[in-house]
Amino acid sequence: MKRIKTILIFVLPLAVGLFLAGSCASARVSMKTGAQLWGENCMRCHNTPSPAAYNNVDWATIGLHMRVRANLTAEETRKVVEFLQSAN
Amino acid sequence: MKKLQLLLMAMVLPAALAVAQDDPAPEPYKPSKTQFMIRGYGHAGLEFIKNEDGTESTFVGSTFAPIFLFKHNDRLIFEAELEFSFEENQLQVGFEYANLSYILNDYMTLRMGKFLLPFGTFGERLHPSWINKFSNMPLGFGHDGIAPSSGTGVELRGAIPVGNAKLLYYAYATNGPRLNTGVDAPDEAGQIHYDNFFDNNNNKALGGRLALLPFANSSLELGASAYGGKVGDRGDSLYADVGAFLYAFDLSYVRQVGFLGGTVDIKAQYNNTSVDKATYFEPETDTTFTPYSFDNQSYSYFAQVAYRPTKAGSNALKNFELVGRYSFLQTPEGAEWETKASQWAVGINYWLSWRVVFKLNYQRTIAEGGHDVPAGVTTTTDGVFIHWAIGF
Ligand code: HEC
Repeated sequence: MKRIKTILIFVLPLAVGLFLAGSCASARVSMKTGAQLWGENCMRCHNTPSPAAYNNVDWATIGLHMRVRANLTAEETRKVVEFLQSAN
Repeated sequence: MKKLQLLLMAMVLPAALAVAQDDPAPEPYKPSKTQFMIRGYGHAGLEFIKNEDGTESTFVGSTFAPIFLFKHNDRLIFEAELEFSFEENQLQVGFEYANLSYILNDYMTLRMGKFLLPFGTFGERLHPSWINKFSNMPLGFGHDGIAPSSGTGVELRGAIPVGNAKLLYYAYATNGPRLNTGVDAPDEAGQIHYDNFFDNNNNKALGGRLALLPFANSSLELGASAYGGKVGDRGDSLYADVGAFLYAFDLSYVRQVGFLGGTVDIKAQYNNTSVDKATYFEPETDTTFTPYSFDNQSYSYFAQVAYRPTKAGSNALKNFELVGRYSFLQTPEGAEWETKASQWAVGINYWLSWRVVFKLNYQRTIAEGGHDVPAGVTTTTDGVFIHWAIGF
């Protein structure tokens, strides 16, 4: 238990501190562009794939796969896929 | 002359006909709604391990894990993964998952089949070798782990925007874990196993996860999960009523931090497994057994930090990543599989692309008890791992 506490005490302030330190000028999802949502979301679990990594048809499939696996909202998925397809 | 005329006609006619037909412009390529993709990943490596028994070195791996994605239409997708590996000189084929997801509406997706459980985040999101920043899993996962990775059943999941924040929910029912009563493997008595394709009892295990992404940029995610049900075999007079309850907490923080000139990635998870008390039997001879019991509680956790100088001027430097991880596992005192282990791992990764990585890790594990080690004896194991992993 002591060690968990030590780790929590170490990790939580670090996360909060880093968050506060990084300027957090963020708007609601509905105000964000697909590019912005891609930059913010697609690096949370793995490195961000570039639009050139797949063609437009494949992006639609991957978009659906990630929507389910990463539990992205419908709007986030739609905007990111549209961005990836248009930047291709 | 006539022959020449005929010959000329024979040569000109097809050309004239071809012109007369005047082909319509070819249709622009229209992809079908139904799409099939093969994706997946593979990894292999070289490992050096040093402990009290001496030093070992071996090439390991070549794991090959193909993933099949079949998008039936914009709402329906099937995903399946097989994992081929070579263990103890035999080909092993793992059936990781196979499930159908149907988007019911903007806030609800239904899944059916065998799926990775959203119990914390490691199992569902971080275990593929091109995503995992280390060459192996933290203590508590994988072989001899206490956290579940997949289950067979149904699940509802979805994401709901709440102002600037986001709430994720997951609720599922599965066949649930199965108790190892020790009849076939006495030294695993009291462990629970998660590969329950056919339910061993009529009780379905229920589970779920709630997670909050409090900030508008989604950088921080905090989650809590629970999973429980009966684990004994139906009709078994001794164990039918034995139940298990598992819970987990997880944290993820990923963000480009300006003053650090790069991306910081923090992940952590705590798992706790408790199984109702039961009596197990230690074989003394072929016909005599000693009954024993213990408080069947296990827990494990890990925390990892990664830093990549994504803002660096030099391209080569940008591809390096520094990683560190601490993990801990405690299994029940008094069990045959009692162990208390802690592990430090540090490493340098080099990313050739977003899905191709070379990993160099150093790791020290200090363990008390465990497989084939009497309780109370402490072992220290040092490992150096050089691995590559590719997602495709
Ligand atoms: C919550 C975690 C998470 C987030 C956020 C996430 N991914 Fe993924 N992604 C995964 C996992 C896990 C896999 C591997 C799937 C597997 O191996 O079973 C994956 C795989 C992929 C793949 C490989 C092909 C495939 O479909 O398996 C692509 C491409 C991809 N992700 C793109 C994206 C994009 C684009 C985004 C941003 C919208 C994104 N991901 C956000 C977890 C995530």
